Amino acid sequence: MNKDDFEFITDRDISVDENFSSQGYWKGVAVHFFRNKFAVTGLVLVSVIILFAVFAPIVSTYSYDQIVSVTDSSGKEFVAKSLEPQFGDGDAQNFFADKTFLFGTDDMGRDLWTRTWHGARVSLIIAFVAIFIDMLIGTSYGLISGYFGGFVDHVLQRFIEIAGSIPTLVIISILAIFMTKGIGLVIASLLITEWIGMSKIARAECLKLKEREYVLASRTLGAGSFHIIFKQILPNTIGPIITQVMFSIPVAIFTEAFLSFVGVGIVLPQCSIGSLIEAGFGNITILPYQILPPITVLAILMLGFNLIGDGFREALAPKLEDM
Amino acid sequence: MKKIFMAALLLVTMIFTGCGGSDSSSKLSVMLGSNVVSLDSAQATDVNSFELIADCIDGLMQLDAEGKAIPALAESYDVSSDGKTYTFHLRDAKWSNGDPVTADDFVFAWRRHCQSSAEYSYIMGDTVACVKNADAVIKGGDPKTLGVSAPDPKTFVVELDAPVSFFPSLMAFPTFYPINEKFYNSLEEGLYGTSPETFLSNGAFALASYVPGAANIQLKKNDSYWNAEKISIDGFQYQVVSSSDNALTSFKNGTLNVVGISGNQVEHVKENAELAKNLKTFSSGLLNYLSFNQDAKNHHAGALSNVNLRLAISNAIDRESLVNNFVMTGAKATYTAVPIDFAPNAKTGKFFAEDQKQFSDVVSFNVSKAQEFLSKAKAELGKENFDLNLIYSNDGDSSTKIVQAIKSQVEENLPGVKINLQPMPKAEYLSNVTSNSYDIALVDWVPDYNDPMTFLTLWTTSGCEIAEHWSNAEYDKIISDCSTGSLAEDYDARWSALYDAEKILLDNAVIAPLYTSANAVLISPNVEGIEYHVAGISRVFKNVKLK
Amino acid sequence: MKKYIVKRILMSLLTLFIITFVLFVLIRIMPGDPFPVERMSAEMILQKREELGLNKPILEQFANYMSMLASGSFGNGTSLYNGAPIKPILTACLINSFKIGVLSILFGTAVGLAIGIVAALNRGKFLDGLCTLVSILGVCIPSYVFMIFLQYFFAYKIPFFPYFFDPSNFFASSVMPALSLSLFAISTIARFTRNEMLEVLNSDYVKLAEAKGLYGFELIRRHVLRNALIPIVTVIAPLVVSLLTGAMVIEKIYGINGVGKLMVDAIAGQGVDYNYVLALSIVFSALYIGAMLVLDILYGIIDPRIRLTTKEG
Repeated sequence: MNKDDFEFITDRDISVDENFSSQGYWKGVAVHFFRNKFAVTGLVLVSVIILFAVFAPIVSTYSYDQIVSVTDSSGKEFVAKSLEPQFGDGDAQNFFADKTFLFGTDDMGRDLWTRTWHGARVSLIIAFVAIFIDMLIGTSYGLISGYFGGFVDHVLQRFIEIAGSIPTLVIISILAIFMTKGIGLVIASLLITEWIGMSKIARAECLKLKEREYVLASRTLGAGSFHIIFKQILPNTIGPIITQVMFSIPVAIFTEAFLSFVGVGIVLPQCSIGSLIEAGFGNITILPYQILPPITVLAILMLGFNLIGDGFREALAPKLEDM
Repeated sequence: MKKIFMAALLLVTMIFTGCGGSDSSSKLSVMLGSNVVSLDSAQATDVNSFELIADCIDGLMQLDAEGKAIPALAESYDVSSDGKTYTFHLRDAKWSNGDPVTADDFVFAWRRHCQSSAEYSYIMGDTVACVKNADAVIKGGDPKTLGVSAPDPKTFVVELDAPVSFFPSLMAFPTFYPINEKFYNSLEEGLYGTSPETFLSNGAFALASYVPGAANIQLKKNDSYWNAEKISIDGFQYQVVSSSDNALTSFKNGTLNVVGISGNQVEHVKENAELAKNLKTFSSGLLNYLSFNQDAKNHHAGALSNVNLRLAISNAIDRESLVNNFVMTGAKATYTAVPIDFAPNAKTGKFFAEDQKQFSDVVSFNVSKAQEFLSKAKAELGKENFDLNLIYSNDGDSSTKIVQAIKSQVEENLPGVKINLQPMPKAEYLSNVTSNSYDIALVDWVPDYNDPMTFLTLWTTSGCEIAEHWSNAEYDKIISDCSTGSLAEDYDARWSALYDAEKILLDNAVIAPLYTSANAVLISPNVEGIEYHVAGISRVFKNVKLK
Repeated sequence: MKKYIVKRILMSLLTLFIITFVLFVLIRIMPGDPFPVERMSAEMILQKREELGLNKPILEQFANYMSMLASGSFGNGTSLYNGAPIKPILTACLINSFKIGVLSILFGTAVGLAIGIVAALNRGKFLDGLCTLVSILGVCIPSYVFMIFLQYFFAYKIPFFPYFFDPSNFFASSVMPALSLSLFAISTIARFTRNEMLEVLNSDYVKLAEAKGLYGFELIRRHVLRNALIPIVTVIAPLVVSLLTGAMVIEKIYGINGVGKLMVDAIAGQGVDYNYVLALSIVFSALYIGAMLVLDILYGIIDPRIRLTTKEG
């Protein structure tokens, strides 16, 4: 059945409400979302960061791990370390005056502009990959648990209860002992800790949906369990799950920053937002410009994703007064 | 609800009544860069622990400001004519619980240290102190056979396997300190040295507050110290500071009086005339080098058993750039296997590594020569690309920068060589270097005593735990001759033989020396008399005066 | 109600037991020996393994460990602080962390509630925006960054608070770490309070009370806050755990001997100390489970509706 099977009986005098005109579900969500100033701001912020993260390292003069150095007239080599931001129009006193470092250079003589955006890219990739896999695992787990109910649900939920009772810090600590430091460890800790929230939401949605008429109809027509779960229920749970994803991504970015900060994350000279904050941290009062870019990018990302998440949540379940 | 508001109110009140501004008393506060590991002299392995133990416990001898051994608990000592028997005569000193310090306390401590198979028990053995039967006891022999005895409570006799020219100065090292046997045995196992109540002092200071891993350690003057009238401060405190930025700011606002600062901060401090006056740099006698694992079984390291590849890497590193651009604390680029400003010749007073050019044909920064070595290595090994792992302990701020600079320099100067950095916590790093599972390791070795041997014994076949898997009979022979063999008694012959050993080592590029570390320290102008040493105890606070 | 509490407690104990078992097994199957072997001969290693009971079947080892726990001991460390008994050290660290944790939860709750209430009462106005901004900042800035700014301005620029933690001057020196730790709590609670308040403000009974002529502070206090506060209790449990994570860095920077610093030392100090990691993991899990248990029971007492619904699930 679809909407073509129905039509308005036009000869009667029925008018469509202008304020709440009939529209598709997603279209409605989109309208609500874009009407929310905060959500749009969040979207713009995140998009800008992503654009820079993707393109800035590509067009940059330097590579993220390149130690920039120049030779002066006497043949002596200088490393361009710890330079404050400059725009290539400096005075003649400075050997590097003709070079542009928008964010300055770090204490190894690497361009912070390139490193910041490269780091943002690494952090975003880690967050997206980890949360995407979490979403797959968590959603399937939650849907299966919620749909089958009874014994299956009981066992699966007890497992979650126990797994969820282990503090994140403990999980990370144990992983840090087992695994070598690096991106793998960060992704693994995110995988283990973040899927539980997803699965809870998926299960709750599934419990609501599985009693709906359309599911009942499909079951009566002989559809298999997995067909119902993934073809009938899943599409209708996507909204809340995406909301959860929007809230999980900043958590993932934050966790990455934390892990890199305590020294079990990214291995230098590779960089991420967290490792850049860590590097700037030791020089924060004498070279404060070094820590500002990564912290700002982190804050903008966190803010952006949270605003998008909030906006999305409100758009999915608009309260009457918001309309 | 009311309760929550009350609690909030209470909290606000507490905040505003509780803080009375910063404590600007004239107490001495000293920064420690990392935790004190242990107050048990048998278990201590790090400079911080040694320093704190030495604050609280005196040994037979102590080092004066110039690093010469002068009597401490021993009033005097006699050496037998063959140099193999030392008889120490103890002065009247007391433990902080009132017990007298006796020779038996030394016998107990020395036996216990040998038995404990702890990291520093080797120092009793034939490579260093040569105490009779020490190696046998360390390997599980009867502790009673150790060559120490206490004929009476005030006489302590040590028998050696061979004469050791620097034996008296070794006695200032905490592994040779006494432990009160009765007190130790009255404690539950593992409790010794874990709190002020479970630790006895016989030295200048006693613990006032301490727990294992403490971030803040308080010391008070020990009134029962034998030399108590010479101690002019009432006590002082250590504060563990893990962020170098915190160190500098807490010095600037007067919270700490003595702090170590990072290279970046040295540059910052030099720009500030007021601060620069407080800046002092001390050579730490610590050699930083690259250790090449030559074990042919190791997949990557197989290539490193080729001497030309090792020489290529060693000559591709610009050490001056490392120290000037990345270490910056006053460290010196080093081209010898023994660090600069270390181990003065007893006769001429010249430091062992005074001549930095003597091995310049094998250790220098010369890109064209490095590339020559590399092409030879490529031809001999039939390989074009070398993918090598460089492991390092990521606890230090400078090591992280150093390895990145080395990676950048080597990869730029030696096409085809790729270096992968592998940071790890200190323990994991140590277990990797000791179990031979690495290609290249960044090592920093602290001298335990003021003699070139503290470095040169590292590379003997049976040598230290960081085994490059390199073995050279000629080298081994020189070292054993110099420690217990024919050369042990002839000072000049031994000295020049040590240069021969160093040449063998560097010709084979077993290691690539990088630089001798230095500590950049800020000391408040009102603090005087902190003694810094390159070997053994790094700082001594006994003679500190506050103005 | 009693039945529910008993059931809930038993469930929590079982969960803790299973977690302990899993952690124990995980840590025991780790490669290598839990003591430094660099200088030991093969015989000595064997002897040490025998001594520590590492040769026995893992279930027997676990039984021994549990009986040790039951007797109130965590055993001795394997490498950290050279094998001193864990319990006194852990207790001292727990007390420090607990004090600062409680302070920051109190502070976070008080400020968070205030911000949330102000925001809700001024919905859509400037103050609401400001409060939202503040609460969002807390989620965006890591606590350690906040800590460093606090330290820079209030201990260095204006020497108002001590630079490092000083147990003898507890309250003054714990303001900055507690404040930085509470940032996250403030924003979470503020956001939550605002939403709950709005919901309650729109409810029929508040409208009725308003219609009857109740207004201002009295209305808020008697009808709105009481109902809005109940769900807020639920966010506090996860906050306790987020405190632990934040404390890991804060304690290190500020020089507090707490459990966070102890965990860092146990993992990355002189070597991984398996017994410390195990003991700390058990304590952390127990804290978390305990916090959830207490809040669940509290919640059941405050709001009778909960009990009815939990019976079904």
